[in-house]
Amino acid sequence: MMARLKSWEGLLLATLLVIFTFNAWATPEFLTVGNQINLFQLSIEKIIMALVMTFVIINAEIDLSIGSMMGLAACAFGWMFIQGVPPGLCIVICLAIGLLGGALNGWLITSIGLPSLVVTLGTLIGFRGLARVMVEDRGINDFPDWFDALGQQGLLGPVPFALIAFVVLFVVLYIVLERSSFGRLTYVIGSNKDVAEYAGINTGRHKMVIFMASGLIAAFAGLLFAARVGAVRGDVGNGFELDVITIVLLGGVSIFGGKGTLVGTLLAILIVLNLRNGMGLLDITGHLQTGVIGILLIASVIIPRIRLGRRAEAA
Amino acid sequence: MTQPTLALRSVSKSFGMTAALDDMTLELFPGEVHAIVGENGAGKSTMIKIMTGVHQPTSGRIEIDGAPVVMSGTKAARLRGVAAIYQEPMVFPDLDVTENIFISATDGLVLHRAAMRRDALALIARIGMTLDVDRVASGLSLAEQQAVEIARALSQDVRVLIMDEPTASLSAHEAAELRRIARTLADGGVAVVYISHRLEEVFQIADRVSVIRDGKHISTRAIADTNPQLLIADMVGREVGNYFTKMPSTAQDDVLLRVQGLGVAGVFDDVSFDLRRGEVLAMAGLIGARRTDVALTLFGILRATSGQVSYKGRPLTLRSPADAIAAGIAYVSEDRRKLGLAMALPIRWNISLATLKRYLSRLGLIDVGAETDMALSFRKRLNIRTPDVEMTVGMLSGGNQQKVMLAKWLNMQPDLLIVDEPTRGIDVGSKAEVHDLIRAFAAAGGAVLVVSSDLPEVLAMGDRILVMREGQQMAILDSGEASQERIMALATGQRGAA
Amino acid sequence: MLQKIAPQTLRIIALLAVLVLITLFFTTQIEGFLSGRLFNRISSSVAIMALVATGQTLVILTRNIDLSVGSVVGFVAFAAGSMITNHPDLSPAVLLAYSAALGAGFGLINGLLVAYARVPSIIVTLATMALFRSTLVEFSDGKSITTDNLPAWLTDFPNMVVFALGQMEFRAGFCASVLVVIVAHLAMTKLRAARQLYAVGSNPEAADLAGIDAARVVLVAFVLSGVMAGLAGFMFLARFGNITVVAGMGFELKSVASAVVGGVNIFGGSGSVIGAFLGAILVDLLETGLVRWAVVSEFWREAVLGTLILAAVATDTIISRRLTKARAERAQKEALASRVAK
Repeated sequence: MMARLKSWEGLLLATLLVIFTFNAWATPEFLTVGNQINLFQLSIEKIIMALVMTFVIINAEIDLSIGSMMGLAACAFGWMFIQGVPPGLCIVICLAIGLLGGALNGWLITSIGLPSLVVTLGTLIGFRGLARVMVEDRGINDFPDWFDALGQQGLLGPVPFALIAFVVLFVVLYIVLERSSFGRLTYVIGSNKDVAEYAGINTGRHKMVIFMASGLIAAFAGLLFAARVGAVRGDVGNGFELDVITIVLLGGVSIFGGKGTLVGTLLAILIVLNLRNGMGLLDITGHLQTGVIGILLIASVIIPRIRLGRRAEAA
Repeated sequence: MTQPTLALRSVSKSFGMTAALDDMTLELFPGEVHAIVGENGAGKSTMIKIMTGVHQPTSGRIEIDGAPVVMSGTKAARLRGVAAIYQEPMVFPDLDVTENIFISATDGLVLHRAAMRRDALALIARIGMTLDVDRVASGLSLAEQQAVEIARALSQDVRVLIMDEPTASLSAHEAAELRRIARTLADGGVAVVYISHRLEEVFQIADRVSVIRDGKHISTRAIADTNPQLLIADMVGREVGNYFTKMPSTAQDDVLLRVQGLGVAGVFDDVSFDLRRGEVLAMAGLIGARRTDVALTLFGILRATSGQVSYKGRPLTLRSPADAIAAGIAYVSEDRRKLGLAMALPIRWNISLATLKRYLSRLGLIDVGAETDMALSFRKRLNIRTPDVEMTVGMLSGGNQQKVMLAKWLNMQPDLLIVDEPTRGIDVGSKAEVHDLIRAFAAAGGAVLVVSSDLPEVLAMGDRILVMREGQQMAILDSGEASQERIMALATGQRGAA
Repeated sequence: MLQKIAPQTLRIIALLAVLVLITLFFTTQIEGFLSGRLFNRISSSVAIMALVATGQTLVILTRNIDLSVGSVVGFVAFAAGSMITNHPDLSPAVLLAYSAALGAGFGLINGLLVAYARVPSIIVTLATMALFRSTLVEFSDGKSITTDNLPAWLTDFPNMVVFALGQMEFRAGFCASVLVVIVAHLAMTKLRAARQLYAVGSNPEAADLAGIDAARVVLVAFVLSGVMAGLAGFMFLARFGNITVVAGMGFELKSVASAVVGGVNIFGGSGSVIGAFLGAILVDLLETGLVRWAVVSEFWREAVLGTLILAAVATDTIISRRLTKARAERAQKEALASRVAK
């Protein structure tokens, strides 16, 4: 047990168990299947995007534009839908927009050589703007029933489509990160880009793929949001990037790249969801929850350093 | 003679187990230009760092005007009048010349631009330069940036000015100008420490010259009492074969690589040599000789602007390291930390990095079993001392890190192995092991290009030795005709040495 | 010739030129665009953003970023509002000092975490952005500040006309803000200590060798950014009167955009307060113009803003890279020439 606690994941797991036990003890309805599914469902877009953000940050980059890309895809869907484009085609085009937006980020970062922080800050504003151009200040709803149902009802028993998508995506990305050469290179490039280049690796292409994947998944999340809520507005996904980055960093991914795991991200997701759910059940407001998570974010950077310092002293 | 401005008395400095400076004693007098010469790694830079307060001596003491002092940092050293300028100037690219000169000044809350400007002009004039003091530093040439640094030191009433290889990146004219400045300062009573690899320059400027070797003070002589041959003898000093035995050549007849008139504009030019299978060609030279740039050109990182490379009998054009690797060329970098290894990642990952494709299953997943077997076999073959191959490389000693880097490239089974400073900063035992590995690679039919600043290593490893100096190929010596003195004479540009 | 002029001066000239061009463009497109009302509108809005952008500039100069400024503006606006609501007799100077001190406190938290706990500024301020906002929500207890409860001197202050040039009204809020910008600009160019801010951002290693305490410099930058955001919060309260918990949201990005468009290098070391001020005007001018331009919907303004930021940074990067390359080539030629001479 002590050995386990020494790793960041161990600490996260212990934290999770404490929160989970407390929630179960404090509120009887916490352990019901409905509440458990609801807990995921309420933040499903963020936790899906956190999976790809894990790759982005391990690669020593950042993508601040995902919330806006979500909004852009959702609004593009709504706009095309009211123009009479068949919903199936709308979905395909929206995903293509995600790829394209990601490629734009990737191009500016790898070819022009701008820092991802600045590029995605720019596209954060730019993509949001395009989203607003499409829907202006309207809300668009009245999507086809099957679309709304996909977002709102259980697909496998009580489990909705989005949650299944999350699980599938987690498994696929886990294998990619842990076992494939792409995952391996994600770490190496994030840890030391020059070493990768001296080993003959095309680091620009690698980063391009990651940013395109980030755009694609953000667009997918936008569609999930449209289906779940049954309506889109210009502010869909506004500010989501911060929650997503917080989750990933809390999960032990280093902001300097090269370090972190998807298991860590998953544990952080569960902690944040349970914490929010628990606080919600205790009537703590959403804004205050965000504040608690802000504290967690800073703690997640400082605590490992303190522990490392202590270990260095011991050695 | 008067009191020395600054003196090191029996100063020693060790980092962990390695002693960088050992019982160093040195006196610097006002008004003298004191040259310090020594091979790469002789301890010059540690000595500068002690004098400028970056490092504290492990034992011994520093005296200023005869009184012992403790300099707790660069600021403390500056306050005592000790300043250093380096080959790469430390200026603020976004600030203008005036602001750069007075950045450390503390008098007054408000900047008096007009007064500062006037003072800056005066300082620049004092060192006999003409420079627009309103220009932003990022637009200045290296020589001009150095002048700014010297002016900054002067503005703080510098009494000991250390110049570390100040002319290594300058043109001949600029270098002459800088030497003139150094002389002007000394005439004004400053003690100037002048560190240089260029012996002719040392004889042009210095009043006295000290030789250091392996962290020890070897000799200090007035310039009139010495000559280049004497200095070189002091610099190389040790008995050849003290550390390494000369390895018998394993060269075959088959020429693998033929380089003709290779050059990169403004960096080096007209490098020509043949490299046969089984042969080890050593490249010797001092800092600024551009040996690494030649290696990087053969690895596709720098683009050649002149000359031809033929490889396995065919012309070879390299656009990227990927091209070089595909052709069977491996490059083991001199900079383990920045370019060689991902220090925070496991040994196994580092070893397989250049050859990852070999361990992919049909689904594109890494076959961890095969990868681990490979890494373990290298651990055994290269005697990498580590409990397992999952540890991060950063946890290993320098020697073992070097072996991991070699393993990465040996696993590629290259035809041409370029190794840059293969034993820098590692212990003697590991050095011998690395040498054996490189020779074994050659004996198995590979060709090796070794870039090294370590003369005994060059003599022990090289079947032939190519000496470079400031981007020029000086000579290729057969191992029979090479000696430390001869190589050093060529590398420092002594005429008639070849 | 161009080398004679400092790059910063060039940037400001270029910015002014772009401002004139954009104004001319919209004047041809929109009837009655160029009017006193345009000036009054933009000046009122810039009055607040200019303060935030000034603080943001100081932080960016040291190679950091402050994403918490929007939350600080919101918190201070609310806190100052509730203070004056509860104590209507409070003197203006005390309320102003209270606002600045609150801002400084928030800045101190950021600065300590960045400079001494060595947590990257993007993480710290991302977290404190959420944290300060949630503190505000807790503090507000679900209530809002309303104009009715504010003293007249406060709500009248921003719109008080100091002097007028034709239809152009120079209102007190704008004048005060411009005054702060000018003072900040003078301080940044004239004070010895201010040079350290540039030095730390320009070359941290050299700054260390020059004996500059980089941690203290970064701390000061964050505290000043907090003070500026606090003053902006005061102005926000005075201008809008009705303050809810979402006050100041989005200011963080707009302030970064103003600074970057105004020529402040996102990698630190170069930029000016005046540049950021002009950047804020440019951003606002574009927004206002786009809102009134019939050809595109008003909703284009964010898209244009994003493009503007990217274009500004990309142009800056490409130009400076070209300059570096040209310089290297020149140096190479000189080196070769001297070698030939030898």
